[in-house]
Amino acid sequence: MNKWWYIAGVAAAAAVVAGSALIYSLPLDTRDRSPRQPLAFSHKVHAGDQGIHCLYCHRHAPRSPVAGIPAVADCRACHLFISADRPEIIKLMGYWEKKEPIPWVRVYALPDHVYFPHMMHIRAGLPCSSCHGEVATMDRITRSVSLKMGWCLDCHRQHTASIDCWTCHI
Amino acid sequence: MKRRTFLQLGGMTAAGAALAGCRSGNEKLIPYLIPADEGVTPGKAEYYASSCRFCPAGCGILVRVSDGRAKKVEGNPAHPVNRGKLCARGQAILQELYHPDRIAQPLKRSGSRGSGEFRKISWDEGIALLTEKLKALQQEKTTDRLALLTPPLSGTLADLTDRFMAAFGSPNHLSFELLAPDWLRRATRQAFGRASLPWYDLAETRYLLGFGADFVEHHLSPVQYGHAFGRMRQARDTVRGHFTYVGGRMSLTGASADRWLPARPGSEGTLALGLARLILADSLHDEQALAASGLQREKLLRRLAGYQLTRVAEQTGLPQQAIVEVAREFATTRPALAMAGEAVAFQSNGPEAVRAVLLLNLLAGNLNRPGGVYPAGGGGAGPENSFSGLLSLVAKMRADRIGVAMIQGNPVHAIPPATGFQEALARVPFIVSFATLLDDTALQADLILPDHAALESWGDVIPQGSAREAVVGLIQPVVTPLGDTRQIPDSLLATAHRLGGGMAASLPFQSYREMVKGAMRRRIAPARGTDFETAWTELLRQGGLFGKIGSTGEGFRRATAAAWPEPGEPRFAGDEKEYPLHLQVFPSTAFYDGRGAPLPWLQQLPDPMSTVVWDSWVEINPRTAAELGISHGDLVEVTSPAGSLRAPAVIYPGIRPDMVAIPLGQGQQGGGRYARGRGANPLSLLAMIDEGTEPRPAWHATRVRLTRVSEKGNLVTAGHPQGSYRSDLVGI
Repeated sequence: MNKWWYIAGVAAAAAVVAGSALIYSLPLDTRDRSPRQPLAFSHKVHAGDQGIHCLYCHRHAPRSPVAGIPAVADCRACHLFISADRPEIIKLMGYWEKKEPIPWVRVYALPDHVYFPHMMHIRAGLPCSSCHGEVATMDRITRSVSLKMGWCLDCHRQHTASIDCWTCHI
Repeated sequence: MKRRTFLQLGGMTAAGAALAGCRSGNEKLIPYLIPADEGVTPGKAEYYASSCRFCPAGCGILVRVSDGRAKKVEGNPAHPVNRGKLCARGQAILQELYHPDRIAQPLKRSGSRGSGEFRKISWDEGIALLTEKLKALQQEKTTDRLALLTPPLSGTLADLTDRFMAAFGSPNHLSFELLAPDWLRRATRQAFGRASLPWYDLAETRYLLGFGADFVEHHLSPVQYGHAFGRMRQARDTVRGHFTYVGGRMSLTGASADRWLPARPGSEGTLALGLARLILADSLHDEQALAASGLQREKLLRRLAGYQLTRVAEQTGLPQQAIVEVAREFATTRPALAMAGEAVAFQSNGPEAVRAVLLLNLLAGNLNRPGGVYPAGGGGAGPENSFSGLLSLVAKMRADRIGVAMIQGNPVHAIPPATGFQEALARVPFIVSFATLLDDTALQADLILPDHAALESWGDVIPQGSAREAVVGLIQPVVTPLGDTRQIPDSLLATAHRLGGGMAASLPFQSYREMVKGAMRRRIAPARGTDFETAWTELLRQGGLFGKIGSTGEGFRRATAAAWPEPGEPRFAGDEKEYPLHLQVFPSTAFYDGRGAPLPWLQQLPDPMSTVVWDSWVEINPRTAAELGISHGDLVEVTSPAGSLRAPAVIYPGIRPDMVAIPLGQGQQGGGRYARGRGANPLSLLAMIDEGTEPRPAWHATRVRLTRVSEKGNLVTAGHPQGSYRSDLVGI
């Protein structure tokens, strides 16, 4: 009798361990690395072929924690004259007519307990591509890095930046 | 249900949940439609200095504004009143801005009064309607039929309303507030010959004797005095200031004291004179100060002959030993300070009792000395008896001599009905309210011209009784107004311009902002003169003009002509047999006089002594409760000669057995979703007291009786040793 209890106990413990391992190995990060966007905006056309600088549209990056994305009015300002007859541009103008912002899908997101200031990284002279990949070759944006803490620390160590907890977790 | 169906359903639910978990976890990234204004960096906060106008203290604030939205309010460290600190009420003014029930545009009544049915109109229509009513008064040559009701005003707004009413030709501007320190201004003038509020140097004093002055919660300038109290206790290496509190109810201030003397209500003045007699009898007074005031010890002692220790002990219900000890401590510790507060002033013998307390300061020789009493900066001019102004306005309204009433604030809720105000106001044919929410007053109004929230407004505030130096705090808008609202002064200016003639000529300003700026230009003109625009920007950055205007002038000295204070026996409304308990209504920490009740943060703020949230309550001494068979959380009915109300009981050892206390602020008919229909308004219990020929604002002189109704008081507390964690009762 005792033996059976013992076996059952071991089996239960094994099940718990296996379950934990399964949960740990499952891809719990359900965020899409390259989500479909409401507009087929191409970074390759803008940043690659036309050679527009990142900061022309993401203009707050040198001064603010957030890089900022252009307002609908900013997109419209150029496209009133450029390629105004393309279907995607007509869709863009549709958002403007309805006075609705474009519901872009976020590709790069950090949890709330992480403070990531763009301006400090720009001031340190890092190229945008070190985190965002070769955006100029992408039609649809694809996240090219893991955004896990180990990845942050690797880079901070490489550049001898601070790895104090309070640097990012304030 | 069959077992098979149950399993099928269960499986489907589980599968559904699992599938939902697999959906994309990406958030949305919503851009601006139109780029942010120049100077606004998304993700980066700006800080604006302004002033809090929640209570008359006039603290300076810094507001964090991110992406054009006000996010957080903190104290302004450069402001001489609050020095970077701020109370819970000040923190909560954000919710005034974002209140979901704010009136977003002018309203005209479409149903009966009080029904809450209004039609939305444009500003043009609203101002036209008011102008039409005022024109009618002008044509009938009855311009004195216009009444304006406001809280006590200071600075440019006071100037504007004065000009408006003078040019229109009406003397009926009433500045009334239940808790306004008129009584203190009057007593100070009578005792010390200067029309000014006192400023107590709490931080430097060594012995504080407080007579019902709840400076930690609300008295005069709670943030300033709370901070000073902390310094009195802890900022000196070798001295920890001693604090004795006199009053029948242990407030939060009382709970911070070293000694509590629960004197019988109305006997505080007698106690003060009894202490004075003991001090003089033992020659412990400051002889120099007495001589300088032209007083002699022997003469004073003869005057105080009636205040024998035995009699004082009997009247106050305090042990003789305690009275003797306090007299000795007060007289032998220098500097020592005596303060009188609302609990004393709102008795039938209040004015005399307050003067008796002020006399103690004279004996201790602390006038105009560190650790003593100074005249407050900012000029003391202000109403000394606005209560009689209220009564005369009520009489006029009753006699149908008021045709148009313009109202700022919520007097329908915050004035005791025993004054007849509510019933008289109902006779006024046209009522204009400037409320931001449909509060009790706005519900009675015919026209609502909604005011901006404080964080959308321009203005200046001159704190009365908050600082020793003169301070002019500036109020500036930190966000673009959320709705189609206008500031009260701008509504008045628009009305004056539309009325034309002398009205427009006496108020030749495009906007209130221009008027505030002009007033500031005059204030600093003698000092600088040159580039005003730069100076103005700098003033806005700092939050106002601090400690640079004039000197504090001469100090206090005894007014020789003053009548000797003789507090006499207190009188109470209600027969002692039928109504055995004294009622004290006190401003709660969260709501002040009720203006905080619409804000959910303040509703959720536990009362520091009882931990009650989201409700009214009745504080009862355990002994009294046991006699009446009442236990904690029971529903009780409180009946006075004027009315009755029901509220849950809080058994509280910090109150005299012959007293009950109810906080002010709840029991509103309107005031938005968080205040409406919650708790009870204790002002409805108060009865009027006539003292001699004139009625007095004796809000603590009503007797009540208590009956237990049921055990279902539904008391909600944020943690009480006796249980009752009924947070499930709170629904937002």
